[in-house]
Amino acid sequence: MIEVRGLTKVYPPNTVALRDVSLKIPDGQFATIIGPSGAGKSSLLRCLNGLVAPTAGEILIDGESLTAARGEARRRLVARIGFVFQQFNLIKRLSVLDNVLVGRLSHVPELRSLVGSFPRRDRVLADAVLARVGLAELAHRRADTLSGGQQQRVAIARALVQEPRTILADEPMASLDPALSRTIMDLLRRINEEDGITVITTLHVMDLALEYGQRVIGLRNGRVVYDGGAAGVTDEIVDAIFGGGAG
Amino acid sequence: MRTARRWTGVAVGLALFLWSAWETELSLFRMVEGLPYMADFLRRMFPPDFSVLGSAGRGALQTLQIAVVGTAVAAVAALPLGFVAARNVAPAWLFYGVRSLLNALRAIDTLVYALFFVAAVGLGPFPGVLAVVAYTTMILAKLYSEAIEAIDPGPVEAVSAAGATRLQVLRFGVVPQLLPLFISFTLYRFETNIRAAAILGFVGAGGIGFYIQTYLRMLNYPAASTVLLVLIALVMAVDFTSSRIRQRLV
Repeated sequence: MIEVRGLTKVYPPNTVALRDVSLKIPDGQFATIIGPSGAGKSSLLRCLNGLVAPTAGEILIDGESLTAARGEARRRLVARIGFVFQQFNLIKRLSVLDNVLVGRLSHVPELRSLVGSFPRRDRVLADAVLARVGLAELAHRRADTLSGGQQQRVAIARALVQEPRTILADEPMASLDPALSRTIMDLLRRINEEDGITVITTLHVMDLALEYGQRVIGLRNGRVVYDGGAAGVTDEIVDAIFGGGAG
Repeated sequence: MRTARRWTGVAVGLALFLWSAWETELSLFRMVEGLPYMADFLRRMFPPDFSVLGSAGRGALQTLQIAVVGTAVAAVAALPLGFVAARNVAPAWLFYGVRSLLNALRAIDTLVYALFFVAAVGLGPFPGVLAVVAYTTMILAKLYSEAIEAIDPGPVEAVSAAGATRLQVLRFGVVPQLLPLFISFTLYRFETNIRAAAILGFVGAGGIGFYIQTYLRMLNYPAASTVLLVLIALVMAVDFTSSRIRQRLV
């Protein structure tokens, strides 16, 4: 379970991205965070795995404080969470397989990994996960020769080989062709259903959030304005999240 | 307004050229007058005297060695300098200090460094190596630092988000982005350093330049032309090989 307590994020000098956000996300849930751009969606997601340090508040991962953790303990917590970026963030000139193996770095001996060698077990796992996302035959291609949709699937494979409890996806289809959004969202849903991995994804379009999210968290100006099931999202709520007027 | 500025620019450029041409005694007449002598010079260089091929080869080899050692040492020496000269790595005071120093020292060319090092450590290839190191370090540090500043933070963030250690982040997020560029810059400087090292012999700093200068001074033009042919072969061979490797890196 991921628990957020009184999370506030201020970017200097005085841009407030998150204001006193508190949430509990139980294991196995598929949650979508929705809101207009600048609402604080990315900041919230990035706080959840420590990419962004909160100004105030606390993040608990399975009861352990990420905010207070340092060094080795912190890396262990971070490794339990896979992160899928809007821009994929693959290492362009490495092969697809090497990119996926990056997800194993927290599991393998450090010194050995530094010379680029991975235990057989890890390579087998990487191959299997690549096959699962449908890219087995592209394992030895350079990452930057793949299409956007393929690159995002490599990024999801990289997150999966971490053997994470949770996958965070930051607008995973925003840089892709609209037709590909469904492929990526379907893949995330399958991971959620088949592996029981918690999926939290930010989205900026309501229809996808309603279609895929068991739970919808609406953000506006850094505050949670809706938190509940997809069925409970009325026109008034959509208006409260996206509508005009002062927020 | 814009056309007025353009014409002012043209006028200033033309004035600068005419003034410089006058001061440097640019003269078509004198060039035409010199043509028979140039022809005579070329005629006397032919046929080349291949009996000096041995010493020309030894000189060329030493030039190659000066460039290899000088470039290799500079490639390593420039690494720490490149990082402290990068805006996104070093604190502002250090960055500005190192950048200014690099820019100032880069104004001095390899041959000028060679004059200085010959005076300091004596004649031979060693002051040549030092001269190549001095100039190449400055220029590679500048190129490295620009590559470091242009690094894509996305992959670095992704590796770190997978729970990697600092060394793993460096190895998988940073090095793959920088290494091919660093090698490419170094090879390119190696190509340039062959040319630079070829004239180091003029000031007593070793290499093929010594033979070029000696034979020209002795008016032994057939020997000089052999040495020049060897130099051309060396430069072409290095350029070809090095640019082939660089193409495959990008």
